[in-house]
Amino acid sequence: MYRQTRLLGLLLLLQVVAMVGTGVWLYASIDWSVITDVSDKSNEILLKTADKATAKQLERAVLFTVYFLGPVVLLFLAGLGFVLLRRRGWMLASVGQALIMLACLFYYGASRPWYAYPIIAYCILMILLLNSRGVRAVVGRRRLTRTEARAEIAHGE
Amino acid sequence: MANEESVDARTAEELLRRFEPVIRFTRGEWFYPMDSEPYVEACSLWVARPGEDAVCVVPAGELTLERLAQQPEDTTGAVHYLKIPNPRSERGRRGSKHSHTDPDWPHETFHAGRGRLARVGYLSRLADALFSLTLLARGRVPGGDVEGGRVLYGRYMEKGERFTYHGNVVRQDGWIVLRYWLFYAFNDWRSNVFGANDHESDWEKIFIYLSESDDGEVRPEWVAYAAHEETGDGLRRRWDDPELEKVGEHPVAYVCCGSHATRYFRGEYLTELAFPLPRPISAVRRILRRFWYVTLRQYADEDYRDKPYEQFTIPFVDYGRGDGLSVGPGQDREWERPRLMTPVPAWISDYRGLWGLYTRDPFEGEDAPAGPMYNRDKTVSREWFDPVGWAGLDKVPTRAEELEVIKGRQAELEESRNLLRSELREKSNELRALGMDAEATRDQSHLSKLHERQTQHIAELSGEVERLRAQLSDDEILSASLADHAEGLREGKRPPASAHIMHAARPVSESETHAGRVAQLWASISIAIVLVTIILIIAYERQHLLGALVFAIAAFAFVEAGFRRRLTRFMVSLNLTLAVVGALVILQNFFWAVVVLAVLAVGLYILWENLRELGS
Repeated sequence: MYRQTRLLGLLLLLQVVAMVGTGVWLYASIDWSVITDVSDKSNEILLKTADKATAKQLERAVLFTVYFLGPVVLLFLAGLGFVLLRRRGWMLASVGQALIMLACLFYYGASRPWYAYPIIAYCILMILLLNSRGVRAVVGRRRLTRTEARAEIAHGE
Repeated sequence: MANEESVDARTAEELLRRFEPVIRFTRGEWFYPMDSEPYVEACSLWVARPGEDAVCVVPAGELTLERLAQQPEDTTGAVHYLKIPNPRSERGRRGSKHSHTDPDWPHETFHAGRGRLARVGYLSRLADALFSLTLLARGRVPGGDVEGGRVLYGRYMEKGERFTYHGNVVRQDGWIVLRYWLFYAFNDWRSNVFGANDHESDWEKIFIYLSESDDGEVRPEWVAYAAHEETGDGLRRRWDDPELEKVGEHPVAYVCCGSHATRYFRGEYLTELAFPLPRPISAVRRILRRFWYVTLRQYADEDYRDKPYEQFTIPFVDYGRGDGLSVGPGQDREWERPRLMTPVPAWISDYRGLWGLYTRDPFEGEDAPAGPMYNRDKTVSREWFDPVGWAGLDKVPTRAEELEVIKGRQAELEESRNLLRSELREKSNELRALGMDAEATRDQSHLSKLHERQTQHIAELSGEVERLRAQLSDDEILSASLADHAEGLREGKRPPASAHIMHAARPVSESETHAGRVAQLWASISIAIVLVTIILIIAYERQHLLGALVFAIAAFAFVEAGFRRRLTRFMVSLNLTLAVVGALVILQNFFWAVVVLAVLAVGLYILWENLRELGS
């Protein structure tokens, strides 16, 4: 009965891994040697670079973090919920997917990077899966109260 | 004119008085059921012809019920209507702002209480705001019309509080129908109760359906309360329904404040007003829904899936709290002697106009209603010519007739079965003979054409015999069910009282009625905040205009859905929209890649299917 929700949980965790991986790759591809910290305060970071390409890369990486850090946390919690608790996390997953889609579709605008497209495609798949009858039937099922459970057993006898 | 016959005046009055309803109003109601005569006498009569200004035919103070029936000759498209005098113009003529003849009415005003706006969505709140704006934009004095109604009704009540209904009794299809027509001087739902519409005058109704035994004793069986434009099974309740409140032989009705919709239970109702959508939009909606629910097998709540796609609905609140005046036998106020409409008076049958202001409202919500006998378009109303069908009772026999109807139906079925059996015998014989013929002509080359025709004929006849046998079997099952049902009725077993009701109108729950303070505060200020946010985004966030707008609207809608406990439905709708936009973006950027992938996927699927077939 819970196979579908467990699969959904794994797919959500896979999405988290992919998103984190993309973020790591974005930061790793920056040439940090041409960036200097010009901040004079100890608890503040102010980066500066003369290289335009590096600046652009840095901006992309930071934007990626700003746009997707929150949703990724939500997806991670939702994924764990589905895998461990079977039917908890539907709302978190839905909100996470919506935030990712909003960022990919509207915030990037015309300067949408190439990796936004696979993210959109994966989100569409997850949205369909989240709203499929099988998943909704499991997630929407109410836990029986003790009295209801007893009545059902008595009826079965 | 109607498939009904009237009952004589004396019997009609006796019956009407015996079962007259108890009506419980909401505290703060301004208008109660009144006699139509003083209303008409205070009004003026006007006629509006197409393309012309409305003309006053009879000035206020000169109109009577008799004169109302003698309306001037109609022309095509002309609309006659009554008009409540505007008290401000009266005062203007007298040269004073205030008049000492202003009645001290009403004694109480309506309080919506907490949570009114929290129960309806953005659209309703926006509609609410637009209604207020149109009032200002129309150039009419806000509340001017309702003020006229208040003065007219206040003067009527100052002469002594009287509560009157109109009534007539008709027979139709074995039923005796008691029709209680409740006339109100004004429907102030929008002005005073934050509802959808206002109109001068209001005709509401309560029908009681009696059956008559052989010894002439009558027994109430059903009751139907009118609410807005609803018709059919949902309107009526069985007399022995435990949910139907009664005081002795008097059914209890709760009248909603302002709209005067009549309900069975006390409480606050979400009333959805439906507006038709243009045909192309409804067609697109239908296609999208089909694709979403059938093709993609997506989940939907039952009530959402069944919602008609050709309508756009806005919910408003109808207050039927029953905490105000109670009118009826043994209540705070008693009914006056009813104004009988037996025989049908000329002011009912000959006046086809409206009973109040004609606003030329395209949705008709703000136009006054026509009288009990007519619709606004001058056609005879269904509740007049078919009171039984109006409440969906046309398929229900009276209790006295039930067994007789079953007996008749069983006789009919028996006759039909005899005919079927004889036809079956005949066709079966023919089929068997044809079977022999076909066997005799098989494998004979010179008779191959004949054999082919015989085979074809056999197939047709065989189908027919199968259909007849199925019909016979159905009739036998039906006949047995009827016998069981008749037996049950003889033993006094009745089907559940609410078995006929598919969607009963019920008040919203206590928890919804008492929305939290934060929800109420949010509902009150959200529209203003949304508008201010949109303006700020347009002014300061032009770089990311689309993104910021979409995000802001989605965020507001999310909070709103949370307060209205519709978060799941909202998330599904939002994600669906985003998925569609996302799919279009991908298609726009990678059209050929998507086509190639789709073809590849189809190819792989076919290959997989073929390999599976090989393996099996």
